[in-house]
Amino acid sequence: MQARDIAVNLPTVTADDPVTKAVRVMAVGRLPGLIVVDDAGRPRTVLPGTQVLRLAIPESYQADPALCRAVDESHADLFWQELGNLTVGDCLPSQPARPVLVQPDANLLEVAALMARLRSPLVAVIDRDGTLIGAITLARLLTSLAVVGPGD
Amino acid sequence: MSAALALAIFVAAYFFIATEKVNKVKVTLVAAGAMAVFALIPGSDVFFSEHEGIDWNVIFLLLGMMIIVGIIKQTGLFDYLAIWAAKKSKGRPYRLMVMLMAITAVASPFLDNVTTIMLVVPVTVVICDRLNIPAQPYIIAEILASNIGGAATLIGDPPNIIIGSRAGLSFNDFLIHMAPIVVVVFALFVVFTRVLFRKSFEYHPERVAAVMALNERRAITDPALLRRCLIVLGLVVVAFSLHTVLHIEPSIVALVGAGVMMLVSRANTSDVLEEVEWPTLVFFMALFVMVAGLMHTGVIAAIGTWAIDTFGNDYFSAATALLFGSGVLGAFFDNIPYVATMAPIVEGLVAQAPDPATGQALWWAFALGADFGGNGTAVAASANVVAIGIAARSGHRVSFWQFTKYGIVVTVLSMILAWIYVWLRYFM
Repeated sequence: MQARDIAVNLPTVTADDPVTKAVRVMAVGRLPGLIVVDDAGRPRTVLPGTQVLRLAIPESYQADPALCRAVDESHADLFWQELGNLTVGDCLPSQPARPVLVQPDANLLEVAALMARLRSPLVAVIDRDGTLIGAITLARLLTSLAVVGPGD
Repeated sequence: MSAALALAIFVAAYFFIATEKVNKVKVTLVAAGAMAVFALIPGSDVFFSEHEGIDWNVIFLLLGMMIIVGIIKQTGLFDYLAIWAAKKSKGRPYRLMVMLMAITAVASPFLDNVTTIMLVVPVTVVICDRLNIPAQPYIIAEILASNIGGAATLIGDPPNIIIGSRAGLSFNDFLIHMAPIVVVVFALFVVFTRVLFRKSFEYHPERVAAVMALNERRAITDPALLRRCLIVLGLVVVAFSLHTVLHIEPSIVALVGAGVMMLVSRANTSDVLEEVEWPTLVFFMALFVMVAGLMHTGVIAAIGTWAIDTFGNDYFSAATALLFGSGVLGAFFDNIPYVATMAPIVEGLVAQAPDPATGQALWWAFALGADFGGNGTAVAASANVVAIGIAARSGHRVSFWQFTKYGIVVTVLSMILAWIYVWLRYFM
């Protein structure tokens, strides 16, 4: 089986979308992460769910656990409201990690090893031009592996 | 021919560093490699020549301090201090700004500027958001304070580390010669901020309760760890001040301090080493190789000879040119590569000085110009770039000109004060 055989279409976001929209897309679609694409539909970065959550945490708190502790409970419950109109692009690191990508003809071992190595439950599948043609989630990969594997 | 080639490699690399078209670590590594491949510097010198190769004293001093700071930042001390200051100020803008600047300026001489800024800016953003006031003026004031405060000591600002190592100046030399003018400049800067930021000060008494709700005590989870870290930091500073008596290089002091800090904090080694800015260390190493290429091919000596011919015995003019020239160039380019390049040239000038005191005056003029020049524009020093980045990602964008319009004024004033100081102290 190859990547193209198990890839599915998932909603994506662009760098210009508000972070609140990105979080909503992930929550509504119950996605393990999000693919951020550029205007040409090429993946700019692939964010695991925890990194999408990171987008929703104001920068001031991200690297400062001591500051998080100092915040009172009533404000702590509402931290995500401080994001205002910040976009996904505003909140991405200045040098975002390379997108987690595979070619359509990648085998499932390649996909699994990539997910494990880069700790990403989501892999983007791209064609030769770099355009996104689908995505593979961790759940989809495991299900596919289970289906083709020897039964109990 | 080799001199021209070395100069061409250097200028091309500097162009890419200054324009930030390519990652500066990549640029310096390629340029350093080119210097070695074209035999513009002998391979053995790259690693084993203190003055015509990588200055390991600088690299290991930086490494040691990065480890020490990486542990201290986990203690929550800065969050405690900033929230405490905000509560004490009761949201009154000028009072708040002065307290935040004071915290930054006092920390900067002992921790590096970038770290100080990374610790102070996030909590400043939170406080300003609670008070519903723009954070930009406070962040700009903190950056300016960190660059002024960092000039006071050998370890406060990377240019000082390079100058100290090249010139053989001790921690106490910096304290004796730089700290007095830094204190004066900072005191006047504090007064001046009242005028400089007067249009930005907003006071919302109804919002003060939101700041008072912050619990600074919770920022410090392990007071014993904090006490141990502060004791070790204090001992490191004492060791720095005694390093000429103990005959121990500052880099060794920093490394021993880092080791002791890791022991007493019981920190996880991997976690602490992740805090080290490895790209910065590689950048410094490659930069030293680039400059060594210029030295080995005689480019630096030729510039030094030209400078000596130009100034003759007029060392006050040389000091003036160094101070203001470094300030202007340091304001528009990253002051670290500038200082690394200029330091051997200044060394040549100093060697021709009629007496050691006059020679040292040139070093102080150079250091003051480069350090204070770091306030000139938004890109003049690493601390500026880091703080503006954090501010932007927190929704408080500081534009290049918003910073620069304040930075230029403060730089000009601080350099005039520094020039008067150099004149009165060394040439009167």
